[in-house]
Amino acid sequence: MPKWAMVIDLDRCTGCGACNVACKMENNVPIVDPDEAQNGRAMFWMDMVATYEGEFPHTEAKHVPKPCFHCDDPPCTKVCPVGATYRNPEGLVGQIYHRCIGCRYCMAACPFTAKVYNWYDPKWIDGAQVANPDVSQRMVGVVEKCSFCAHRLQKVKETADVEGREIQENEYVPACMENCPADAIVFGDIDNRNSKVSRLSRSYRVFRYMDDLGVKPKVYYLARRTSS
Amino acid sequence: MPIFAKCRRNSGLNNHGFLRYRSSMTLSSSPSKRSFLCRSAVLLLAMMVGCALTSDDRKIQPIVYSHKSHIENAGLTCTDCHSSVQTLAAASIPNLEVCRNCHSESLSESPEEAKLLKYVAKAAEVPWERVYKVPDHVYFSHRRHVVAGRLECEVCHGNVQQFTMPVSLPEIPVTMENCMSCHRKHNVTNDCLSCHR
Ligand code: HEC
Ligand code: HEC
Ligand code: HEC
Ligand code: HEC
Ligand code: HEC
Repeated sequence: MPKWAMVIDLDRCTGCGACNVACKMENNVPIVDPDEAQNGRAMFWMDMVATYEGEFPHTEAKHVPKPCFHCDDPPCTKVCPVGATYRNPEGLVGQIYHRCIGCRYCMAACPFTAKVYNWYDPKWIDGAQVANPDVSQRMVGVVEKCSFCAHRLQKVKETADVEGREIQENEYVPACMENCPADAIVFGDIDNRNSKVSRLSRSYRVFRYMDDLGVKPKVYYLARRTSS
Repeated sequence: MPIFAKCRRNSGLNNHGFLRYRSSMTLSSSPSKRSFLCRSAVLLLAMMVGCALTSDDRKIQPIVYSHKSHIENAGLTCTDCHSSVQTLAAASIPNLEVCRNCHSESLSESPEEAKLLKYVAKAAEVPWERVYKVPDHVYFSHRRHVVAGRLECEVCHGNVQQFTMPVSLPEIPVTMENCMSCHRKHNVTNDCLSCHR
């Protein structure tokens, strides 16, 4: 059984935000009005965390793309009272929206604030966003998050099964990786030692956020300087 | 494994999928419809003896289309009309173009065919009602079940080639428990993320 993981190379990432946009479009993540976004209700599955260091004019911006880390020992699933979020055998942390009761325990438990809450029914800006039929639209009152584009895996698995073969490397590709112009995102089966993710996850540049918590995130970052 | 134990219990909520479906049919019949049913009870009794399901959940199709006559007399197979059943997730309902191949002129005396010919003359699609439907948060693929799983259509849709009336009620209601119980039988995964999206 494969175990899906992601590597994000911060030395390649330019902070352009293509992954954020691609993710929003792919996963029908609603666009929140600017006023509400100011209140901290902006919704991203793939967020861009920006930090600025130094005194003007010698400032340096650091951009870190942040999806759900699909932890191997996820804290969010342990607090869910209804089993709406769980870790599946392939290491994906699933969120079943129709099972979710919107208690938001999982949001509080997530150390990476990867989960977002639907304060409203989805609203579409005419012409700007057309819903992707492969992903359901969430309703008001449920928690959602990055799924590593699991709907793409459903189709990839099916094609591989119909053709009677294994899933090839780079067949199952999430939208953020597909749209990254700098090829900073690498995705694949980390249990296969020959895959690119597996090789990169053993790089000397690798680090994981809050590794001391022991939640074992499956999103690895690469950077020559370690981030604080 | 506590999560999976939990999930198993959740799906148990849907254990009575079929029962729930039947009872919801009676609950959803509104008072006005019920009194209408009472008034026409004599008529109903006369006409529908032995037909237990006189429910409002029955879909009324615009044309009384017979699968039987097209398969037995016209010699068609399921894939001639439901053309994407082996290649895509959706089987597809045939559009007017398919019917027009044969029904560009009258083939029988049937008044139902006359209705079809009216649609053909107007070049307007026949507004068929969908009977089987999974909600948008579930991924169901015919290719997966028909090609990879080698299942016959009958298992899920009943003996369609003998239907002289259009499909109006699902043979097996599309509920999560019905999906899962067959998966259990065939040793197929019941991981939530394999169906839900
Ligand atoms: C391969 C040719 C063919 C195609 C394609 C076809 N039909 Fe027919 N259809 C026939 C024939 C032949 C009959 C006469 C059958 C009989 O009398 O038993 C018929 C009869 C009918 C009738 C009369 C009632 C009955 O069943 O006997 C209806 C209604 C009808 N067709 C609807 C349709 C619709 C709707 C489509 C498109 C989805 C369609 N047909 C496509 C050959 C075709
Ligand atoms: C495992 C059960 C199963 C089998 C086997 C199966 N179906 Fe279906 N079928 C379904 C379900 C569930 C739906 C509802 C799908 C949806 O809403 O997307 C459906 C929908 C349909 C529809 C409606 C239109 C559409 O686009 O989906 C047609 C037509 C259809 N099936 C034909 C067939 C034919 C022909 C076969 C045999 C080759 C077949 N089915 C085999 C379960 C099945
Ligand atoms: C001549 C074309 C034709 C052929 C051949 C045909 N169908 Fe259909 N089928 C239709 C049409 C038209 C409808 C829509 C009317 C209805 O619901 O009966 C339909 C509806 C259905 C539906 C109901 C779909 C829904 O959800 O509304 C199922 C299931 C189905 N067909 C299965 C089959 C199977 C199984 C076969 C092969 C044994 C078959 N069909 C062969 C034309 C065809
Ligand atoms: C009659 C039995 C039957 C029914 C009913 C059925 N399935 Fe299946 N399903 C199968 C079989 C057999 C397979 C394995 C196919 C294969 O070998 O790839 C399968 C495979 C699947 C898979 C792929 C699982 C994987 O390995 O990732 C999905 C998703 C799925 N079914 C969804 C559904 C849904 C949704 C429904 C209900 C609407 C449903 N199935 C109803 C028999 C069934
Ligand atoms: C084999 C496919 C399949 C699997 C596996 C599956 N589901 Fe479902 N689920 C469905 C289908 C189909 C429906 C829609 C049923 C209906 O419309 O009545 C559904 C509906 C639901 C609903 C109800 C939604 C509503 O609006 O009523 C919930 C909640 C749900 N599923 C949760 C889960 C959870 C949690 C799991 C994992 C333990 C799971 N499902 C696994 C097929 C599946």
